[in-house]
Amino acid sequence: MKKALAFGVLGAMALAATGWGAAADRSALAKKQSALATEYSLAKESNFYFVLDVLGRKLELRVRGMVLRSWPLQGMRFWGNPGFAGTVELVKKTTLKAPERIVIKPGETEEPAPAPVAPQAKPGATGTAAATTPAEYELEALELRDMPKTFSLDFDNGLQITVKTKAGGSQGFGRSVRAALRWYVQLPLRNLFGSREGKKISELELAFEQGQDAQAIYWHFFDGIKGIVL
Amino acid sequence: MIKRILIAVAALAWLGFLAVVGASYVIGLKQASAWPPEESVQPVAEKDVAKTERNVQQLEKRMTGLLPRGLYIVIDTAANRLYLKEGAKVVREAVVSCGSGVVLEEPGGKKRSWVFDTPRGEFAVKSKITNPYWVKPDWAFIEEGEAVPKGLEDRIESGTLGDYALGFGQGYFIHGTLYTRLLGRNVTHGCVRVGDEDLKAIFKAVPIGAKIYIY
Repeated sequence: MKKALAFGVLGAMALAATGWGAAADRSALAKKQSALATEYSLAKESNFYFVLDVLGRKLELRVRGMVLRSWPLQGMRFWGNPGFAGTVELVKKTTLKAPERIVIKPGETEEPAPAPVAPQAKPGATGTAAATTPAEYELEALELRDMPKTFSLDFDNGLQITVKTKAGGSQGFGRSVRAALRWYVQLPLRNLFGSREGKKISELELAFEQGQDAQAIYWHFFDGIKGIVL
Repeated sequence: MIKRILIAVAALAWLGFLAVVGASYVIGLKQASAWPPEESVQPVAEKDVAKTERNVQQLEKRMTGLLPRGLYIVIDTAANRLYLKEGAKVVREAVVSCGSGVVLEEPGGKKRSWVFDTPRGEFAVKSKITNPYWVKPDWAFIEEGEAVPKGLEDRIESGTLGDYALGFGQGYFIHGTLYTRLLGRNVTHGCVRVGDEDLKAIFKAVPIGAKIYIY
C-alpha cells in the first residue's frame, strides 16, 4: 500500500515537472519567435542596428543579422517605468562636451607645421605633429580618442540610456556628487512627480569596462539608428 | 523668538524634503525591481507549438539568407581596421586609415564645403583597378590653396593611390598609401588607405560585387 502511494506521488511529481518544463519550453519558443521577428524587420534593411540584451548583459552593433561589435556590460542599474523593451530609435546623443569637427578654411588658417612623414605624400595628413610615435600624433582629425566616455542616448519611446565607464575613477569629487544627487534624489523625484513633459521616465545606466568601449559606442551610434531592447 | 521659529520652519522643511525624497526612492525602487521583466512574452499555446516552430525555422532561414555570400569586407572606421571575412571567419585583418572628419570650406565666391568622412553603410565592390591614378577633385586644389584647373590632364596624379584600388561608389576607394606610418589613424579624405601587402591580398581575393560593410 505504502509502495503504491510512493509510486503515485512520484508519478504525480514527474507529471508536474514535465508540465512545468513544457510550459517553460513554450515560453522560450514564444520569446525566440518574437526576438527573431523583431530582428528580421530591422535586418532586412541595409542599415546598422543595435541589440541591447539586458539579461545577456551585452550591447551589440549588427547589420543583416551579423554582429559587427559586441560590448559586454560590466554593470547596469535602472530607474522608472520598466516597460521600454522592443524596437527603439535613437533621437539624440547628449554629452557635456560634444566632439567638434575641425573646420579648415584655406587662406584663413595658419600654415600647419609639417608632419614627420614622407614629404612626397600628397593626399595625406594635414596635421601638426610632435616627435612622438604615429599613434600619438596630434592630428587635425576627429578620432575615437576625441569621443566622450560619458554620455546619454535619448530614444523615441522616452528611454534614456546613460553610458559610462566603470574604470573611469578619475571623474572628480564634484562630478561624483552630481551623479549621486541625480541618481538618488533627482531621478526618484522625477519618477514620482513626473518629468516636465509629463512622460514616465525610463532611465537605464550602462557601465562598460574600458573608456574606449563607451567612446566606440558614441562613434558608432548615429542619430536615427534603430535597435532592439530585449 | 523669530530666529527660533525660522530655524524650526527650516528644519521642518528639510525633514519634509527628506521624507519626500525617501518616499520617492522607496516607491521608485519597488517599481524598478520589476526590471528586467522575466516574462514579457506570453507562452505559446500547446496547440500552436508546431506552427510556431515552423515559423521560427522560417525566420531563421530568412535571417541566414540576409548574410553575405563568399568573401566580404568589414571596416571599422573608429578602430581603423579592415577585416576580410568569409562567414564568421576572419580571413585577414589589416590596419587602415579612414576619414579624418575634417570640414573643408571653400573661401571666396562659391562657398562649397566638404566633410572628409568615410561613408558608412552597406556597399559593394564596383571596380578593381591596377596601377590606379588619382583624378584630383576640386577640394584637393582648394585645400592646398591652389587654383582649380579646367583641364582633366592637370588633375591626374599617379603613384599616390598605390598599386591597386577597389572602388565602392561615389568616388570612394580602398587603395594604397605612401603614408604607411599613419595607418591606424583617421587621416584620409574619405577613402580607405591600406598597406601594400594587405591591399594586394585583399585585391586578389575579393571579386567585383563583394559586399563591403563600413561602420
